[in-house]
Amino acid sequence: MVLSYTRNKYATITDLEDGSLLVRATLEDSFFACTVEIEVKVPDLEITSIWGEIKRAFNEECQEAIPLLQEAAGLRIGSGINKTISDLVGGSEGCPKLADLILECIDEVVLRFTLPTIKETQSIDEQERIKGTREMLRQNPGLLGSCIAFAEDSPLLKGLELEK
Amino acid sequence: MSTLTFARSKIVGIECPDENTFLAHGILDDYIYALELDVEVKLPDFELSSVQGRWKRYTTPECPKAIAKLQNAVGLRIPEKDFARKIRRVVGKEGCTHFANLLLECCDGIMQAAAYGGWKDLEEKKAAPEKEGYLKRKFESVPGLEDSCMVYARMGK
Repeated sequence: MVLSYTRNKYATITDLEDGSLLVRATLEDSFFACTVEIEVKVPDLEITSIWGEIKRAFNEECQEAIPLLQEAAGLRIGSGINKTISDLVGGSEGCPKLADLILECIDEVVLRFTLPTIKETQSIDEQERIKGTREMLRQNPGLLGSCIAFAEDSPLLKGLELEK
Repeated sequence: MSTLTFARSKIVGIECPDENTFLAHGILDDYIYALELDVEVKLPDFELSSVQGRWKRYTTPECPKAIAKLQNAVGLRIPEKDFARKIRRVVGKEGCTHFANLLLECCDGIMQAAAYGGWKDLEEKKAAPEKEGYLKRKFESVPGLEDSCMVYARMGK
């Protein structure tokens, strides 16, 4: 059986010389091709610039959505940003595909800052790794309840006191 | 030289074995996690009839328990109100946010295939109608398409 649809979405981060991040997300599927690029200032995680282009779309009118990207400029990556992006760029008054690519970039930034801690804990034995994960939770209490590993009844959290 | 400090790839392929079924196979691979999903969706309600997942790479001994939570998505319908929010809760928060992310990617791909796949077939047969006429017919058979974005909201009026 041949495929009736295919999608390839990828996102990358490059650290720039001034310490800021260049985040690029690209979607290429059977009917649509688009790229969004954002620059994020560190440490305040402000989106300082945004650029994007739609290279291929089912409807030519999709190009009209490109100026909406600028709604994300000046926003800070933090609590509530996903809803803000969806409201300002996505939905029935905007372009959900462009909004989705901005959200992909934001997700990447969060993971990029999580990576060093995880890398550190992965290089040691399991008990030490659990200790490292608990330390990560202690430093990022916002992760509590975010997934099954960080659920309140998770064995990983047993006896762990977190600042609320 | 600038080197990458993070990268993630997501690939979704969709087959249509019969006129009432879509099968999606999704892969997510990034610097931290690697996982796969097989999703079956039945028409006309776009109901998730099967979801199977596999871990390739994860971070804690608790992560494998998230696989069982994929079954929370079975029976949900993609066009229903707050579908994405429900998936983020019952598959993501109760299981794993990365599986929820990939599942939503697969479901979005299925809706795209449902909306535009027919056009591709017609074009190949050199029988494609005007795009607007094609879309207006699709608005009737693909729930949620009509008000999914600014272009379609305008076209539907």
